[in-house]
This record gives sequence, structure tokens and C-alpha cells, in this order.
Amino acid sequence: MKVILSLTIIFTAIALTSTNTPCDHGALDIPDKWIDMVDSCYDQMKNQVQEELKASIQYLAMGAHFSKDTVNRPGFAKFFFNSASEERQHALKLISYLLMRGKLTTVSDLIKKNIVPKITIWHDGLRALKDALELEGNVTQKIQNVIKVCETPLRADEKKFNDYHLVDYLTGEFLEEQYKGQQELAGKVSNLEKMKLTHKQLGEFMFDKKLLEE
Amino acid sequence: MKVLCVFVSLLAAAFAVNNGVCYKGIEEFCSHDKKEINPEKCNSKYGGINKALPHLQEYVKNHIVLNFEYMLMSTYFGNYQKSREGFEKLFMDLSNSKWEKAIDLIKHITKRGGEMDFTKMRANIPNNNNEVYELYEINSLAKALEIEKDMAEAAYHIHGQASERSKDFHDPEIVSYIENEFIHKDSETIRKLSGHVSDLTKLLDSPDSSLALYVFDDYLNKVSIV
Ligand SMILES: [Fe+2]
Repeated sequence: MKVILSLTIIFTAIALTSTNTPCDHGALDIPDKWIDMVDSCYDQMKNQVQEELKASIQYLAMGAHFSKDTVNRPGFAKFFFNSASEERQHALKLISYLLMRGKLTTVSDLIKKNIVPKITIWHDGLRALKDALELEGNVTQKIQNVIKVCETPLRADEKKFNDYHLVDYLTGEFLEEQYKGQQELAGKVSNLEKMKLTHKQLGEFMFDKKLLEE
Repeated sequence: MKVLCVFVSLLAAAFAVNNGVCYKGIEEFCSHDKKEINPEKCNSKYGGINKALPHLQEYVKNHIVLNFEYMLMSTYFGNYQKSREGFEKLFMDLSNSKWEKAIDLIKHITKRGGEMDFTKMRANIPNNNNEVYELYEINSLAKALEIEKDMAEAAYHIHGQASERSKDFHDPEIVSYIENEFIHKDSETIRKLSGHVSDLTKLLDSPDSSLALYVFDDYLNKVSIV
């Protein structure tokens, strides 16, 4: 009898912990009061991750175009390949931030993978630089929208949570990089356009070699 | 004699394919018969690039997609509930490597006169929802092992086709590039992943499985996968 009783106790104990397999150690009891980001802000941030990846693939297409044998602008190609990797880093920075805030736990809907670049052929390097500047302008605008929503959530059912830290991060760090990058691009457009006024082909050739040195 | 004649004319024809078009175009350009030159005539294509190109483009696409998928797997292990820094690092290393290889492949394709076809990014990619990237530690390693083996075989396929001794396919340059940049490195990564799965399977088969995972994660943080 005693044996049966103790066996029953053992079995009950096993049954109680049966959610634990060698690979799954069950649900955890972690306080979640610290996870204060609201959903509408979170959705905007997730969307921004996708926007950065889209920009990354668009720059990748620019790099690919200027690498072609009959286009042969290695300087432009290098510049755009670098930009592609930078945009990918921006996406990763946003992801890291969301991980820090504890909001991002499930990931399967975070990235839409079939990103097709809108443009894949450019008339010349100047046109591509102008496209890049326009692209950055759009990205900047989107970041500003994220900031707005995270400052004053739109949804009626949400608590009006001003996400000071995220807003500060986006304005202080993210937008800073955007504005610097945009100034750099605008400067390049300006220089190249002036060179090309009188030296159409030579201007672009020289500018390309200059980009290769950067 | 006849044979020699045929051989010489064949040789001449073979040269004509490569040299004639570009040079003739330039002559026309210089004598102002034609104002514009079509740069396509002086491209850098030779050997088996035309046959290899669609496969290389597909290979680039797979690198880009895997860069995203490994990014998601890494992110999952980085969340506060999983909190597995070693796994997070392993998958981020794999993601970075796939991205860098994608760029390198595009550079190489264009070196050989080809171009990347980005419309391939649209096809055959199951877009989230059905795909799950929230995996247990051991499952994630098993998945990575299978992915890496598939990619290694894709490299073999490109290599195999470019090794064919027929005119349109043979391309020692592509063969050598694939060998040096992919085939040997793939074998290293696959062996490491296989070793990880083997180790972790043994470690998990114990009453200390949760402690084992903690220790193994710490170990992963100190080693490199690529
Ligand atoms: Fe960006």
C-alpha cells in the first residue's frame, strides 16, 4: 500500500511537470510591468524595420547596376553597396531596441522577405544619387511618423503613453544619422551636377574614381 | 590537309565570336560611320557565364532570403524570455555571412558580364505566417544544419554545371570562385553545426537539460560558426 501511495505521488509529480521536455522548460513567471511600450507604437517600429530593409535592398540594386561591365562605375557601386549594408544595420538597431524594451518576443511576422527593388536601372550616377536622396527623404518622413505615434498613441483604446525614451532615441540618434546622410548625398549631387554642366562624361568618370577613394 | 583547313577555319570562327563584334564596332565608331557605340558589343562575357547566370542569380536570392531568416532566428533568441546570447550570436553570424556573400556574388556576377535579376526576389518565397522562426535551441541548430547542407549542394550544382567540358558550360573561373569562396567554407560550417547538434542532443538527454542549455549557450558565445 505504502509503495502504491508513493508511486502515485511520483506519478502525480511527473504529471504536474509534464510540460517540461528536454527541449521545453515550460512557461516562466517573469514580471511584465517593465514592458510599457504600447501596441500602436510597436507596430510603427516594426514597420520601420521593414522600411530600412527595403531601403537596403534598393541600395543593393544600385550597387549591382553600377558594377555591370558596360556601366563600369566601381566608385558608385562601392558607395551604394556600403549604403545597403548601413540600411541593414539600421534595421538591426531598431530590432535591438525593441528587444531591450521587452516588447519584441515573437518574430515570425517581423520581416517580409520578398523585397523587390522598385528601380533596377539608372541613366547615370547623378540620377541614382538623386534617387538615393529622395529615398532618404521618404525614410526620414517615416521616422517622423513613428515619433508622432510613439509620443501620442492614436488608438482610442490605448493608454496615452508618451514613450519618452524611444522618441529621444529616434530624434537624437536615428534622425541625426538621417540628416547627416542626407546632407552628404545632397552635397554629392550638387558637386556632380556642377561638374557635368560642361563635362558630361568626364565629370561622371572623375567623380566615380573619387568615390572609390572614399 | 583538309582536316587542318577545317580546324583553322573553326579556330578563326571561334575567335570571331569573341573579337569581331567589339573591334568592328569600334572601327565604325572611329570612322564616324556610326555616331554611337553599343557598349554591349564590348562586354566582359566569355566561357560558361550565360549558362551559369540563372543559377548564380537564384543563389544570390537564397543568400538574401537566408540573411533575413537567420536574422529572425537570432532575434528570437535575443528576447528576454529566451535570453540565449550564444544562440543569438550564432544566428547573427550566419545572417551577416549570408548578406556579405550575397554582395560578393553580385560583384562576381557583374565581373563576368552578368547582372543580378532582382525580380527573382518575388518568386517562391513563402512570406511569413506559415513559417515559424520561434524554435527550441536544439531544433534551431538542426534547421541551420539542413539549410547549410542545401546551400552547399546548390554550390555543387553550379560547380558541376560549370565543370562540364562542353563549350557553352565550361568555366574554370566560376568553378574556382565557387570552390574558394563557398565549398570549403560550407564544409567547415556544416561540420561545426553537426557537432553542435550531436553535443547538445547528448547534453539534453539528462535530468539537467535546462542547466545544460545554459552551459551550451555560454559555450556558443565563445566560438565562431563561420
Ligand atoms: Fe536608414
